[in-house]
Amino acid sequence: MKHIQLFIILIITLAFGACGDGFLEQPPRSALTVGTFPETAEDALLATNACYNSLRSWQINTGGFPLLDMMADDAVKGSNPGDGTAIAVYDKFEHTATEGSVERWYKTLYEAIRRTNLVITEVPGIDMDAALRDRLVGEARFLRAYYYSVLVRGFGDVPKVTEIDPPLDLGRAPVSEILNELVYPDLEYAISVLPEKSQYAPEDLGRATRGSARGLLARVKLFYGDFGAVEQLTRDIITSGEYSLVDDFAQIFVSTNEQNEEAVFEISSLPDWFENGGNQYGNTQGVRGTPNKGWGFCRPAYSLIEEYQANNDPREEASILFLGEVIDGITITGDGSTPDTTYQNGQIVEIECYNQKVWFPGTDSRESFGHNRRIIRYADVLLMHAEALNENGKSGDALPFLNQVRERARGGNPNILPDVTTTDKNALRDAILQERKYELALEGVRFWDLVRTGKAEAVLGPLGFIKGKNELFPIPQSEIDISQGRITQNKGY
Amino acid sequence: MKQHLLVRLIFLFTFCNIGLYAQQVTGVVTSVEDGLSLIGVNVVIKGTAVGTITDVDGSYSLQLDGKGDTLVFTYTGFADRVIAVNGQSTINVFMEPQSELLDEVVVIGYGTIKKSDLTGSVSTVKSEELIKVPSSNAIQALQGKVAGLQILSTSGDPGADPVVRLRGITTLNNNNPIAVIDGVITDIGAISLLNANDIESMEVLKDASASAIYGSRGAAGVVIVTTKRGSSERNTVSFSVERGVESVANRVDVMNGREFATYINGINPGTYNNLDVLPDTDWQDLIFENNAAITNANFSVSGGSAKSTYYFGLGYFGQEGVLPKSGLERLTGKINSNYKLTEQINIGLDLSMQLRDKDNAPGVINSALWAWPIDVPYLADGETFAEVNGGNPVAAIEYTNDNTKSLRGLGNLYASIGFLKYFTYKSSVQFDLNQSQTKVFNPKYFVGPLQQNEENDLSNETRNVNTVIFENTLTYNQTFGKHSVIALAGYTTQDSREENLKGQTEGLLREDELFWYIDAGQDDFERSSNNFRRSTLISYLSRVNYSYDSRYLFTASIRRDGSSKFGPRNKYGNFPSFALGWNVNNESFFNIDLINRMKVRASWGIIGNEKIDGNAQYSLIVPGVNGVFGENEGQVPGATFQGGGNPNLKWEETTQTNIGIDIGMWDDKLIAEVDYYVKQTDDILVPLEPIGYTGIGSFRSIVYNAANVKNKGLEWSLNYRDRVGEISYRVGVLGTTIKNEVTDIGEDLGADSLLVGGDLGNGQQVARTAVGQPIGFFYGYDVIGVFQNAEEVANSPTLFGQDVGDLKYRDVNGDGKLDARDRTYIGNSIPDLIYGFNVEVGYKNFTLSADFQGQLGNEIYNGKQAIRFTTLNYEDKYNSYWSGEGSTNSDPRPSLGGVNFLPSSYYIEDGSFLRLRTLTLNYSLPKHLTQKLKIVNSNIYARATNLFTATSFTGYSPEIGASSAVDGVIDRGVYPVTRIFMVGLNANF
Repeated sequence: MKHIQLFIILIITLAFGACGDGFLEQPPRSALTVGTFPETAEDALLATNACYNSLRSWQINTGGFPLLDMMADDAVKGSNPGDGTAIAVYDKFEHTATEGSVERWYKTLYEAIRRTNLVITEVPGIDMDAALRDRLVGEARFLRAYYYSVLVRGFGDVPKVTEIDPPLDLGRAPVSEILNELVYPDLEYAISVLPEKSQYAPEDLGRATRGSARGLLARVKLFYGDFGAVEQLTRDIITSGEYSLVDDFAQIFVSTNEQNEEAVFEISSLPDWFENGGNQYGNTQGVRGTPNKGWGFCRPAYSLIEEYQANNDPREEASILFLGEVIDGITITGDGSTPDTTYQNGQIVEIECYNQKVWFPGTDSRESFGHNRRIIRYADVLLMHAEALNENGKSGDALPFLNQVRERARGGNPNILPDVTTTDKNALRDAILQERKYELALEGVRFWDLVRTGKAEAVLGPLGFIKGKNELFPIPQSEIDISQGRITQNKGY
Repeated sequence: MKQHLLVRLIFLFTFCNIGLYAQQVTGVVTSVEDGLSLIGVNVVIKGTAVGTITDVDGSYSLQLDGKGDTLVFTYTGFADRVIAVNGQSTINVFMEPQSELLDEVVVIGYGTIKKSDLTGSVSTVKSEELIKVPSSNAIQALQGKVAGLQILSTSGDPGADPVVRLRGITTLNNNNPIAVIDGVITDIGAISLLNANDIESMEVLKDASASAIYGSRGAAGVVIVTTKRGSSERNTVSFSVERGVESVANRVDVMNGREFATYINGINPGTYNNLDVLPDTDWQDLIFENNAAITNANFSVSGGSAKSTYYFGLGYFGQEGVLPKSGLERLTGKINSNYKLTEQINIGLDLSMQLRDKDNAPGVINSALWAWPIDVPYLADGETFAEVNGGNPVAAIEYTNDNTKSLRGLGNLYASIGFLKYFTYKSSVQFDLNQSQTKVFNPKYFVGPLQQNEENDLSNETRNVNTVIFENTLTYNQTFGKHSVIALAGYTTQDSREENLKGQTEGLLREDELFWYIDAGQDDFERSSNNFRRSTLISYLSRVNYSYDSRYLFTASIRRDGSSKFGPRNKYGNFPSFALGWNVNNESFFNIDLINRMKVRASWGIIGNEKIDGNAQYSLIVPGVNGVFGENEGQVPGATFQGGGNPNLKWEETTQTNIGIDIGMWDDKLIAEVDYYVKQTDDILVPLEPIGYTGIGSFRSIVYNAANVKNKGLEWSLNYRDRVGEISYRVGVLGTTIKNEVTDIGEDLGADSLLVGGDLGNGQQVARTAVGQPIGFFYGYDVIGVFQNAEEVANSPTLFGQDVGDLKYRDVNGDGKLDARDRTYIGNSIPDLIYGFNVEVGYKNFTLSADFQGQLGNEIYNGKQAIRFTTLNYEDKYNSYWSGEGSTNSDPRPSLGGVNFLPSSYYIEDGSFLRLRTLTLNYSLPKHLTQKLKIVNSNIYARATNLFTATSFTGYSPEIGASSAVDGVIDRGVYPVTRIFMVGLNANF
């Protein structure tokens, strides 16, 4: 009996002594938690690189689809009539606050901003090489400015978040506050610390440069009508000598000529799935069917084709892929169940064709993830410069910059696309806007060009655009619901 | 039991040589239940020690010798019978099984208790019921057998786990009850590693009184599984084998070639000019196998000696599956052993092992419904796969190679020691070790541009999920006078670890199976991933069962659980329960002869739930969030946030109140149990998408204690058994009502006030969870007809693109516009009533039994038809399309997609059904035959499963589950549940 009692005491002691206090502490494995990162120079680089990752996110392009082009007059929804029916509403400006694309776009922009805030708030405190530290913070601030500029342009007033874990009672901050306190200082800081494109090591090609920061700031200033600033910023880019036009327009977008001399800011991507470095932007718009390059959304509008043809503009050939066309040795057959031609009242309204600017060679759909989305091209800088000069009363000075773009488009054919000679401010303004349409077609700028120039109602009205409403997207309904109305809706939604 | 046997033996030796005299009475004793003769029944002359026992034929003969005129027949498990001889020389006696329940011992958490002393709501299903349903998972046998328990066989895929719900949906996350197998706490899926033949009983703990002892994990209910053990008095050898075939019970009606072409012509006139020359392919015919084989063979030996007992079981289960490449083979082993070291000390090991080999079914069910019937599987050469609109399912099967092999062992190594007469201390180490490997190989192929694999690829994934529990309990059990007390105290720790290691590659040297290894691929494509999770629990538990005079019963329990899944402030939770019971029939004033037993029960308790990811409290920073830079573009490593975490997480709590009554009438011929329950679950752990500007990201959520849900209902089970002449019969009816309502959702958390679910994968989300509604109700447009003419379109609010012939949606908010705000409640997937009934009729050696099961008042969303990413074949009902004014007001004009395919009530179907779950004809071999073969008993049977289903649902089967409660029940094209015919043989030696 004694033995048994001993035995019991032993077991009970064992049982209750088996686990120390640490037993219930099980931290995550193979991941850090907030507060322990970034701590070193290596961490600072990792955290900064991650800010670029958002640029390739499928959600960052207006909720997974390049809706901005679809809403402009240079593209329609595309794809198969039965596919992506939820986004057809954007083509006709019938979208509402509950359509999911807007919510995903908005949330992913803030996710990207949170990543930049991690760098901007934590990296300055790291003991490391000061020049590299400033550059990394500069890159993060460039990207934060980019994401915020997209937010305010799309949604107007939005919550101003500069912390990793913001308070849950924020309301909307005015656009001016976001611009003056975040976007402009961020970009000015980036201009002051970032190297020029040529000063980066070859392995850093694709990072934000001083030129990128100037280009982005010019774009934002242009949108809000500060032509003086635009003129100066674009002049700085032009005189930096860092950039020039690619000789042949058709060679700007080919897969072998990425990050070329014309690239002011471009998102490098690998021909593989997102997690392996790809960007689905090209795949979303890629040829549907044969070859299987993607889904075929954002189809070039038939009116765009007609206008190119009326002008004998060679940029048509480099911008639009037609059925039957042979490219890189591959014949474009297209999708079996998508109508080749769609008629309305006996008139052609749409033909099956695709955005050639995102074409990436090969028959593998995965390869089309390799398309580098061009955010700011030098041609855009030249056109912005021309526009600013014209608006600042220097119409004559503007002409050479505009004609530089036209000359390249001409491709040596003297019979087409003659130089623009008018110095009438209004006529030149229109000419520059038209030039932007043809030069930058399907690159996500047309819709905002129409909005900022006040021409959206005239051009897009027949497509459903309502003045005073559709200049902005609706704030996602979920944001209004969760904040119990503290975050308000945009006009008209 | 031991004493009974001893007495019987004494009788046997005392009386076997007595010669024949006058006044002899002879006869045969048989069981009322199955008509079989009973061996070893005591037959005693009343008031004497004189008697005999029946022989192997159930016969007896006894000399009265004037010692008395009344015989008493007694037999364990049967009601005594007292019969006056009155000069008869032959008295054949039927004996009725005594109420199974009266002295039955019920397994409860960490112990057992007499059924009559039980205060909680517990249902027991015994071994003979468990082997009735041919399935690799014994829990299927509880279908339609336990009131309040809903088991849906949601897939006919061999080895697929059913969906199990007890008393409605309590939480928004994981609603699975837990399983406790021979004392080891594990997941409900673990029951599938047991062979049904090795199981002694399964008990379902339903109310808080019963399940609160499992504290944090009991909220969705507990299923306790007890396996068979050896007997120290008898060695038994059992053998059973069954073989059968299964086929898809009913096909989904889709358009044939002519109908499809006609429909397409309705959209684009003249697309198909000659309907007579078009092919007509029935894709379902091409993919499903008829009469796929099922084999189930089991063998067990059990027995023991005074010092030790053993049970050894071996089982094989093989099921080909009605879809090619979906077969399952399984070997199970069971060893239960106990050694008595001294009178006081026992040690033992209970071990269950499973080797499993499963081909994971190719996902072709939907493509068989979507593929155009005017396409053909092969080109003219008869062997090259043809491109098929909607995908070629025959090719998909050919190119699928997906297999999982696993080894799982679940065991309990224990020692117990009795001391100071009333105390028992038990210590055990329990383990659940699960190792699996999944290999997927896709060859290089080209069927069409949308169905091709440009390079062959391979993935190989190993997963280890291991849990070790260290459990210590001290039990005190004493009866003094009219007081009876059982008290329990315990301490347990649990440590669960999970690790994955996955490798992938492409471009294997050859496609032969000999090369399905990572090393055979190209180094450039090699990728690997590896992750690990660990969670731990510390628990203190105690319980007191007190009974006074077998009249007044009281139970109280409390468990304190600490979990690593919660932050420092909220690690521990307390889960108490109280219950009262009153055996009214034991009161002296109770003298209703009709009622032989009556107990009233009431219980209250709090139970918890911690089924969330262990990392939910943390805001993680992960690597692999890379940038792409360089003249030679390449990935450059990056690291940042992955979503967010909630450091304030705490336990989810379910407060359950239960009132019940158990009644036995006419000597337990009728047994009725009725319960009313209210379950209020608070602080439900819900993954919610927080306000967007927090930057957690799209489709990312944080777990919050965010919602409250109430479930209430009435459940009943009635069983009646009797005998008319030589016919014995038994009837059982059970059912439960469920009312589910969400009472609160995260309004104070800065998080979304409603939950969106039911993603169809095409951008449509058809389910919502909101306050005042049942969880996961369907949400969409309410169809009120079809636009008959242009005038009607012009005068009605319309959506973009709506025209004549399209579905007309209701302007719910009446603002004269139709938009997303007009979407509304259009159905819900929680049934109002779940019911079952069973009938058994025995005549001589034959028994016929039928089990029915059904549910009422639930809806199913026909997701497989609503998804239109391109032009696909249509289900039958589209044949009645709108073709002009007045043609129909229920089905829209022909269309490829778009506005008629939006989430709407058009896709809601009634999911009510009544199913004949099993129909069994059993024949017990006559004694004279079995005796010759030295078999104790043996029976052969034929059984049909899912023979018939009454439902208006158009899919394969209305038994469809949901992975998450917030998704509602959506038919996304499931592996169909099958109709099975089996024959089998059991023998015990």
